[in-house]
Amino acid sequence: MNSSLLSETFKIVLLGTLAILFVAVNALFLVWMERRVAARFQLRRGPIHVGWQGSLQTLADALKLLSKELVFPHEANKFLYLLAPLLAFAPIVCAFVILPLGPGAVIRDLNVGFLLLFALTNISFIGIFMAGWASNNKYGALGSMRAVAQNISYEIPLLLSTMGVVMAAQTMKLSEIVSLQEKAWFITVQPLAFLLFFCSSLAEANRAPFDIPEAESELVAGFHTEYSGMRFALFFLGEYTAIFVSSAVAAALFLGGWQGPLLPGPFWLLLKTYALVFTVMWVRWTFPRLRSDQLMNFAWKVLIPFGILNVFGTALWLYFEKFFA
Amino acid sequence: MPTLAEKDIKTWLLENVKPDEFLEKDFKKSGILFEAVVPSGKIRETAAEFLAQGYFLESLTAVDFAECFEVVYHFNRWESPPKRCCVKILVPKEENKAPSISSIYKSANWFEREVYDLFGIHFTDHPNLKRILLPESSAIFPLLKSFKGEPAGSDVEQSLKLIEEDKEGFEIRYPQTITEHQKEYYLNLGPQHPSTHGVLRILLHLSGERVLDAEPIIGYAHRHHEKMMEIQTYQACWPNMGRLDYVGAMSYNFAYALLVEKAMGIQPSRRVEFIRVITTELNRITSHLLWLGTFLMDLGAFTPFFYCFDDRERILDILEMVTGERLTYDYFRFGGLDKDVPADFVPAVKAFIPHFKKRLRDYDLLITKNIIFQKRTKGVGVLSRENALAYGVTGPCLRASGVPFDLRRDEPYSIYPELDFDVAAAKDGDVFSRHLVRMQEMRESLKIVSQIIDKIPPGEITLGKLPKNVPKGETYTAVEGARGLFGMCLLSDGSLNPYRLKLRTPSFSNLNAMIDMVHGCFVSDVVSVLGSLDVVLPEIDR
Repeated sequence: MNSSLLSETFKIVLLGTLAILFVAVNALFLVWMERRVAARFQLRRGPIHVGWQGSLQTLADALKLLSKELVFPHEANKFLYLLAPLLAFAPIVCAFVILPLGPGAVIRDLNVGFLLLFALTNISFIGIFMAGWASNNKYGALGSMRAVAQNISYEIPLLLSTMGVVMAAQTMKLSEIVSLQEKAWFITVQPLAFLLFFCSSLAEANRAPFDIPEAESELVAGFHTEYSGMRFALFFLGEYTAIFVSSAVAAALFLGGWQGPLLPGPFWLLLKTYALVFTVMWVRWTFPRLRSDQLMNFAWKVLIPFGILNVFGTALWLYFEKFFA
Repeated sequence: MPTLAEKDIKTWLLENVKPDEFLEKDFKKSGILFEAVVPSGKIRETAAEFLAQGYFLESLTAVDFAECFEVVYHFNRWESPPKRCCVKILVPKEENKAPSISSIYKSANWFEREVYDLFGIHFTDHPNLKRILLPESSAIFPLLKSFKGEPAGSDVEQSLKLIEEDKEGFEIRYPQTITEHQKEYYLNLGPQHPSTHGVLRILLHLSGERVLDAEPIIGYAHRHHEKMMEIQTYQACWPNMGRLDYVGAMSYNFAYALLVEKAMGIQPSRRVEFIRVITTELNRITSHLLWLGTFLMDLGAFTPFFYCFDDRERILDILEMVTGERLTYDYFRFGGLDKDVPADFVPAVKAFIPHFKKRLRDYDLLITKNIIFQKRTKGVGVLSRENALAYGVTGPCLRASGVPFDLRRDEPYSIYPELDFDVAAAKDGDVFSRHLVRMQEMRESLKIVSQIIDKIPPGEITLGKLPKNVPKGETYTAVEGARGLFGMCLLSDGSLNPYRLKLRTPSFSNLNAMIDMVHGCFVSDVVSVLGSLDVVLPEIDR
């Protein structure tokens, strides 16, 4: 009993450390990738001087951020101001708990699977709201108001789009959903759900064209206007990790997760995830930003009706399938 | 009936106002049709009649004479050829008061503030008569001839005290903190903000994200070019022309060259005219490209910026080859040019034309047809014809409101009458129309360049030695800059430097019109409306 508790604690500490390590390395890689991808889109070369093909550039930037002064804005709410970056970052790291890397390779195979994931990403939005509100800056306040409105609107289509998959798979366990896709990926039976999920997760991760909470040409930097140094870097880490997590979940739900020939499971999952991340970057460097009211319209008048349609369609299909069988 | 209307305003003036002085002028030589000195009590009546007849207030300025001030109004109409009229009132120095026409012409609001700021003339019944270009704490009137350049607030402690007083006054007028349950608040967009294109501050009165009121605050880049030019020789003013609208400086070179040539009665050679038009049109394209890139950036799309800059760099390379400068051009000279074009200029331009044609197609496919772009710009920031008239808006912003008024065609100068080009226009007056007009203008400019690039005639580049002074008299010249009508009003006393040189810059009036365009918009729309106006701050602040 005692020894199993000890080993359990050890496992948690080890996996937690590994997860944070992965998050850090992954963010460094994604930032480098984003800069290179952006450069390719923009007739530039991007970072090329530090390390091989500029691969150490983000590391150098991270070191620079570490050495920056942590500015504390005038008359800010100190407690909330300090708590906000942690609250925005930590829940996204927790999401690694449920990511299935391969058959049996998952930290906690919960039966409510990705419901937990959505609960966690919502907590990070509270962090974003707190950041804007606590820093005593009107741009920050505007940014956090937009963030809340956006989060509330896009949570619904996000859940609706996954309902189709859950109904088809009859489970909420991510590992089971992945193993059911051995013959055919769910994107083939749920293409609409995949599109809805992709759009909503862009909005959930504050990515262009839905990046209105930070909208730098309007709100300077939105909710993190007043943050500097590593506090700012935590928001940044959180954003890139959120992109990674939502792409990984999309890969698990729709693209067969670890399933793939020859190579090991984690490789396939990472490949699919990074392919989706690349698409996210592609979208960002192609489109202008929506206005906040248009963003709401898109959620309530396009995504949600189609989400409901998809759920009904799946229900009918399941019913008739059973009926004929 | 244009000719009838012109007669109308003249006969109306002669019959109803009975001007103290009335002078018919030669439009070719002076740029105006007639000049009337009216009693100052009748100026409001006169302005109202001008507005009723469809004239816009092109410029409003003052001149400091030894015995009195002269407030000068230039009215103009959107037609070909323009009907520029000059009306003056005399303001005695001891009285120092003039009636305000800001309730008649909305553009007069800022013009009168400028005159108050620089001359100290009070306009009675002006709603908001305070400093506009200089800080509110300053105590000088720099365009007075008695002002010799020593700022009154040069004492540091005194300046700091004035700044402190300024701040207190500001906090009383605009409560800054968001209190509980308070929905309305003020937001300072700028002067340090990514999307104000320089140092502009827009004071927004917001309710949530809705704009209730907007007040652009300018003057941060004020260097006083007009005073500078009064104390310099005519030749020494050339560098100032590159530093007003630094994005489209060739048109300003053009205006100054035309102004002095008109006043001196000289004519440059055909070769000079051709090179002037080619470089100006290339410069117009770079100006519109810079606008396109930064405008899309305001809307949140970053990639077009680099494509626009890539194209712009190609033109800048060509212009650098010709002028030696990449931005603040100082290329034209009175009756000529600084130097001749090099031999590889023509092939370089010819190589650029097909490349840019292809790029323009790409821009249309990727930007103009993009659904998000259209949603963000259609129906936003509408400028009606009435407001365009009242604010004296010119350039692409006016043409987007359905008025095809372009000085290159309507008050032709240089070799423009011989060229085949269309005046771009759209009808809706929204942000999207302004985008369409500028895209079309780039095409037209390219058309002009490709028409004459092969036809540059041989000829002299300068007229040789010219007198250093300009004959006595008053001359007005206007050209179509990249942002609109750029007018220069020169009053020469025959000496080596201008007695008064008024710079009528287009963005000054265009930005003023923004106040009425953003009511009820979102904060995001303020950014896109401002971007669509294509303002260049050093040109507004001068």
